[in-house]
Amino acid sequence: MGDVKLAIVVQRPQYKGETSRLGITHAISYQTVEVLLDDGDTVTPTLCFMGEGVLGLTKGQKSMEHYGITSTEAHMKNTLLVDLDVMVCKEDMDRYGIPADTLPDAEEMGAEKTIKVVPFAEIKKAIDDARHVLFF
Amino acid sequence: MGTLTIACFPGLVGSAVYDFSLKLAGAATEKGHKVNIWFSGNATASVKANQKHLKDYPTGEKHIKALLEKGVEICTCEACTVARGINKPDAIQGVQWNAMHWYLAKVHASDRVLHMGGE
Amino acid sequence: MKLGVFVSDYGAAGDTLQRLKPDGIILVLNGVYHGFLKEAGKPSPLLGMAPKLYALSEDIETRGLSPAGIDGKVKVVNYGGLVDVMFTDFDKLAWL
Repeated sequence: MGDVKLAIVVQRPQYKGETSRLGITHAISYQTVEVLLDDGDTVTPTLCFMGEGVLGLTKGQKSMEHYGITSTEAHMKNTLLVDLDVMVCKEDMDRYGIPADTLPDAEEMGAEKTIKVVPFAEIKKAIDDARHVLFF
Repeated sequence: MGTLTIACFPGLVGSAVYDFSLKLAGAATEKGHKVNIWFSGNATASVKANQKHLKDYPTGEKHIKALLEKGVEICTCEACTVARGINKPDAIQGVQWNAMHWYLAKVHASDRVLHMGGE
Repeated sequence: MKLGVFVSDYGAAGDTLQRLKPDGIILVLNGVYHGFLKEAGKPSPLLGMAPKLYALSEDIETRGLSPAGIDGKVKVVNYGGLVDVMFTDFDKLAWL
């Protein structure tokens, strides 16, 4: 069957609902899915943030200090460390007045990928190109 | 016939999305499709056995057992489930326990995927 | 690939549905109200967002509504019919 592309779309912020965070961790789990697939089969997710989903991504989150839970920021760094393609909708960042430099990166941890702020048209393309789309 | 994988995150008694997911799974099975169900988030609490079915409330256990009898594969996210204090000895027999990659593997093999995220 | 989007709430579907430009919309749970309610005399704008519209009969009747009363653009299907729609009309499905 080969590679199956997925679009994993997060459209709600974290810390009230949990499932938007689970969107990130489900995407990361592509790293281990091969143990359950036939040789040569892979899953390639593109993790997309749109709508209010762009709200929960800023650096400096203190969820561990206040609630004892791993922050979205930490999960986002992990996405970059496992070479996920991560896209954040530019129109929604602009709508909410969120500068791109508030997004975390994992360069100091050795990640080669960065979070990309892109026009929605690119997210739509990822959705169109994907075999399945999962809205969290 | 094809393969349908359903992911349900909203919980039993918390959301009718849960009930919808089980009814849809049953209908797809009746049509001859292969069906997989992935429970994550709040839906994982529904795998606890010995649920009391009160008419004022939705129920999960009897529908889950009926679906398992029909060959539907149902898997609960182990991390989400144990985080809610539910352990394997307490759970409905036949429900699988695994990590998120179980779901991605089923998605890989599916013709249709309906992912019902949380609210 | 044809995209079918499930709408399960009556509240404004928001930007996402319009941005997706789906090939079809499937009204379930409280989403069925889009097929019945009019605000200021106007039907739900959602009914103009896709060429194919479906609504689940069990969810219509659960809410005390009659399938016969739904907007003429919407085709009513039961759970079995919904499964057929999912496999024959669309290649990909999204749930909002």
